[in-house]
Amino acid sequence: MKAPLQSRQQIPRQRILERIRAATLDCAQDPAMREEAYAALPRAYTRHGQLSAEARLKLMIERLREYDAEVVETTPEALPDAIAAQLAASDKHSFLAPPGTPSEWMVTAAWKISGLEWTIDHGLATAEIEQSEGVVTAASCGIADSGTIVLHHSASEGRRVLSLLPDWHLIILRASQVVETLPEYFARFQQPSGLVTWISGPSATADIEMTRIKGVHGPRFLNVILVRDKS
Amino acid sequence: MNHPATHPVMDPRLAPTFPKAALPVLRNTQLRKNVEHATDVIQTKRNRLVAEKADWQELRTAASALRAHVLENLATYLEQFEERCTAAGGTVHWASDAAEARAIILDILRQEQASEVIKIKTMTSAEIQLNPFLEANGVSAFETDLAEIILQLGGEEPSHIVVPALHVNRSQVREIFARRMGLKNLSDDPKELTNAARTYLRQKFLAIPTAISGANFLIAETGSVAVVESEGNGRMCLTLPRTMITLAGIEKVLPRFQDLEVMLQLLARSATGERMNPYTSLWTGVTAGDGPQSFHVVLLDNERSSILAKAKQRQTLKCIRCAACMNACPVYRQTGGHAYGSVYPGPIGAILTPQLMQMKFAQSLPYASSLCGACYEVCPVKINIPDVLLELRAQVVNQERGRAARYFDPMYVGLRVANLLFAKAWLFHVAQRLGRIGLGLYTRKDGWIHSLPGIGAKWTQTRDLRGLPDESFHEWWAKRGSQPGKEGK
Repeated sequence: MKAPLQSRQQIPRQRILERIRAATLDCAQDPAMREEAYAALPRAYTRHGQLSAEARLKLMIERLREYDAEVVETTPEALPDAIAAQLAASDKHSFLAPPGTPSEWMVTAAWKISGLEWTIDHGLATAEIEQSEGVVTAASCGIADSGTIVLHHSASEGRRVLSLLPDWHLIILRASQVVETLPEYFARFQQPSGLVTWISGPSATADIEMTRIKGVHGPRFLNVILVRDKS
Repeated sequence: MNHPATHPVMDPRLAPTFPKAALPVLRNTQLRKNVEHATDVIQTKRNRLVAEKADWQELRTAASALRAHVLENLATYLEQFEERCTAAGGTVHWASDAAEARAIILDILRQEQASEVIKIKTMTSAEIQLNPFLEANGVSAFETDLAEIILQLGGEEPSHIVVPALHVNRSQVREIFARRMGLKNLSDDPKELTNAARTYLRQKFLAIPTAISGANFLIAETGSVAVVESEGNGRMCLTLPRTMITLAGIEKVLPRFQDLEVMLQLLARSATGERMNPYTSLWTGVTAGDGPQSFHVVLLDNERSSILAKAKQRQTLKCIRCAACMNACPVYRQTGGHAYGSVYPGPIGAILTPQLMQMKFAQSLPYASSLCGACYEVCPVKINIPDVLLELRAQVVNQERGRAARYFDPMYVGLRVANLLFAKAWLFHVAQRLGRIGLGLYTRKDGWIHSLPGIGAKWTQTRDLRGLPDESFHEWWAKRGSQPGKEGK
């Protein structure tokens, strides 16, 4: 059934591309010129931040809190305990973790909290994910200027649905992953992953009289543990 | 209850002219209050965040040049996008116009045997009037953005491109939800209303395996698509279904992934007054084990290539749909979006809509502006909207040339007469004297003319006119010349 659809498509495709080419004849460029023109585009905006490492982390925390995210700081050694403390405080019992999650995190938490239920996502069904109350994931980057956390959905960050359906999302972000500006993120990840999610606070809407309401469809609670590793 | 109402659609072909459509809105004080409140809130937040961004102008300059570069090389970047997206497992379709786009989407839905589809907010789908078409072909389209649900359930039309239900207030939302969701005890607390929508849609997200989205950006270098949103309904639609269809205007492409560093900094601040919107998702074709396993992109021309061909108008296509121009526009802030009779209202709508209509409809929109330039000033990609408005006005005037009816237009007759009068000094002086006598009859003691008869009433209906002075400057000057002693310092 696909074949006729494909071949029928060739006609509008050619027509549209021809129309576009005709419309831009005045500025037609060969590949080399195009590359040159692209490279010469003005980019005088701020690319590199000016803050000290400490001030950068402070800004990240401040911005996250402005979005109503909960932030705690910890050291690499104390991380499993900090995770356990967050889980205990969440008042939830069933948690998900992506397959790349260090087992130490889960063991400590399970040992400290009775009745805690951990499920590792080895291809869980959507319904099972939907049943879980919370999820713990790593992240790829933090951007202090806008309080944004970036997920590339690696094995420790989980597939997209994992950090979407549960109402409570705990992100483990390392200090060395925090940059100050958005251009610094792009400088760090020049070969992007095929899937990227930029998260800036919990899901929100202002569609009713511009009143900001936290939590529409995505997780209503975003918690962040900032790990003070040596950057 | 589970069946979406046929969404009424703004059709510029059927809409009355702007001044006509604006009248009932201007009399609706509730609606004006709602629009004023919403645009005030966004503007204030936007201005605060723009002020804190020291490199705002540099970002605008970069974005403007980048978007112009894309348009100049559009065919190349689109082909590149197509190639990479296809290599990543996506299927790229091309649609010359709205009808082709609708047919392609319906074809895909038929192949998927889909009778229901969930949608992320996309103004492009409203542009091609997709929902009523799907409805007529037995496919129910469920909007999932909160504002879009309010409109869909309430049978309302969008009045803004970022917050389409800004003209509806909380008690009206309560009424719509209570009626359509069967929740009698719902209060008008926005939190409770939002929760009602969350519950209402959760089952749809989990049950309906086909989704339709728009695109904020297409990345040529990687074949990726980016969607910018707040609520998470976008992430739901991009993650849970089996099949994903993205409808995107051909102008939405960016050369490289890195170019998002410019656009994302500008878009959220301009659109909602946030440093960053809660969620931005980027995906590339199909990813095994994560999200839809069948992915289609429909690239829509629909007159965009004609706009591209006109040097001055081409910049219209730089638009990233942030709606900052609407929030800043003194005309939009009075009328709201409905008066524009198009899914694209406000200053950008005033230039985009008539062009999408090949200047055959919506010719009154280029006049729906005071040319104050506020839109240009806030535009993150520096579209010179006043310039394009003037260009389109000139085209409208050219269209009217040679039409017999034009000779009966009072404006035309008036300007021809003025042309004659201004050509000869003596004629002008005679006209001045006659005018002084004539208008003197209507001038009150306070020196103002409050109402004029006949054609003059068009002016005095909405404003007063100052009476002509007893003496013209010319006469005063002549008199003064004969009294050298009175000369000032």
